[in-house]
Amino acid sequence: MSPVIGQRLPRHDAVLQVTGRSLYGEDIKMPGMLYCKVRRAGIPHARLIEVDTSAAEAIPGVMGVVTAKDVPFNAFGFTHLDQPVMAQDKIRYEGDAIAGVAATSLEVADQAAKAIKIKYEELPAVFDPLEAMKPDAPKVHKDNIPTHFTVVHGDIEKGFAEADKIIEERYTTQFVEHVHIEPHAQLAYYDPTGRLTVWTTVQRPFLVASDLGKVLKMPLSKIRVLTPCIGGGFGGKNEMTTEAIVALLSMKTGRPVKLVFTREEEFTATTVRHPYVMFYKTGVKMDGTITAREVKIISDAGAYVSWGESTLTKALVHAAGPYRIPNVRIEAYLVYTNNNIGGAMRGFGVPQAGYAYECHTDSVARAIGMDPMEFRMKNCVVSGDTLPTGQTLQNATLDEILKKLSSMSGWKVAGGDGR
Amino acid sequence: MTEASTHHIRFTLNGSEVSADVKANDTLLNVLREQLGYTGTKRGCETGECGACTVLVDGKAVNACLILAPKVDGRAIQTIEGLAKGAELHPLQKAFIEEGALQCGFCGPGMLMSAKALLDEIPNPTEDQVRRGISGNICRCTGYAKIVKAIMKASRQMARVGGEGA
Repeated sequence: MSPVIGQRLPRHDAVLQVTGRSLYGEDIKMPGMLYCKVRRAGIPHARLIEVDTSAAEAIPGVMGVVTAKDVPFNAFGFTHLDQPVMAQDKIRYEGDAIAGVAATSLEVADQAAKAIKIKYEELPAVFDPLEAMKPDAPKVHKDNIPTHFTVVHGDIEKGFAEADKIIEERYTTQFVEHVHIEPHAQLAYYDPTGRLTVWTTVQRPFLVASDLGKVLKMPLSKIRVLTPCIGGGFGGKNEMTTEAIVALLSMKTGRPVKLVFTREEEFTATTVRHPYVMFYKTGVKMDGTITAREVKIISDAGAYVSWGESTLTKALVHAAGPYRIPNVRIEAYLVYTNNNIGGAMRGFGVPQAGYAYECHTDSVARAIGMDPMEFRMKNCVVSGDTLPTGQTLQNATLDEILKKLSSMSGWKVAGGDGR
Repeated sequence: MTEASTHHIRFTLNGSEVSADVKANDTLLNVLREQLGYTGTKRGCETGECGACTVLVDGKAVNACLILAPKVDGRAIQTIEGLAKGAELHPLQKAFIEEGALQCGFCGPGMLMSAKALLDEIPNPTEDQVRRGISGNICRCTGYAKIVKAIMKASRQMARVGGEGA
């Protein structure tokens, strides 16, 4: 018998966890450490005219203040370099960082962050992605649609022409905040030899190191990003947030600098699950054969792309559902708004699409008076089928799963929809 | 900025006498974590919602983020660091490990202290009582089922050894 496989083993760090000895982000300290607070925009859309930090700098105990002017290369992002470390000339959502303060105590840092004066001209904001797609909508960036994908398979017009019934529906999903119980925590130390060490609560330390290298214009050989135990992530700790601000403050003061997000910042200045608007249109014959499906997905990116493109591509390849459909057209748009930035969250775009296509599948089955489970069994993909993206399936087991589900749940396939 | 007044307080922390100079607006959580170095007690929300900072004050589970430090003068505080007796884990800690009741572990210290307060008061709780006992503690990883199972298991084991281990 294997000592590992099939065995129920305790977590390797279980004893540390239950005795309170696991070190999480905020638990890490350094001697001489300063406390950081970030001044956030607090307004959704504006032209940023001036950031006056003089009153903050005059407060006893304030050791350093940084703004966009201090950032060597003020743009980062996983697929699009559209997000500034600190807002430069424009505010695009309430959580935009405007300045960072390092002080001898958290109270002083907080007081100083509030003392920073922001001069701005407020712009009309857009919070609805469908509105943001209109030509006369307020422009969050130069173009409100940073990315757009289309999947075409078969002949959609022919498919709809062959259908006995066409069912059209609109599904929407909402913002979801990850609410990991541990807030983001970051500690940066730029040491006298010119090496930067950053402890940060991220799921992707190497991505953060690479982003830090770009925005600080530092070689990666001088940057170490270390991750302590992470108190929950769920995708919410998937990207750089304010590590560069904390690092710049350490470079400016020569002291270690630590920042811990408040719960309020977790809700207003970190990523969320993208809300999707999804239009589904399906053509079906009375015998349950699906002839065509057209899908349009609009993902609310919020102020910056972040993981918006990657989550959307994942939603795109799943959007038609695991059903045999000869004619498919899927369009997917990522749209900037002045909302919170959408990011990675468990399922990475797929839960939104899954919610829509499974609810829609029920509707289609009901429209032709067929039991939804029977309808799924008739149409589910099997080995050898080709998906709209061109992928040919091997070892598909959905039919077996559906059969098992029916028997386990007591679903009566023959007798109506079982409700 | 007006300076808050300073208070000299003494209390027992996991059985040992400690003293600290605290400001009137310091929370017990801050004094434990920042002044005394007891980082086992976690800070999650600072508004009494998540329960990650749960400690026992005179045996009762409280949110350390909601109690001002001067208020604990003369009282007995128990934190996660005092739950085990040296290397000997408390039955609750053992059961949490055996049942895989923690994933990221961040809610663990607070969850365990709430569970201890519960079992000290109700040694043989029903599942419903366990769920009520930890209703002030949020866990985003586990779905609670294994936590509930672990607490029930610990209560049975403690009953078997005659309540020893409290």
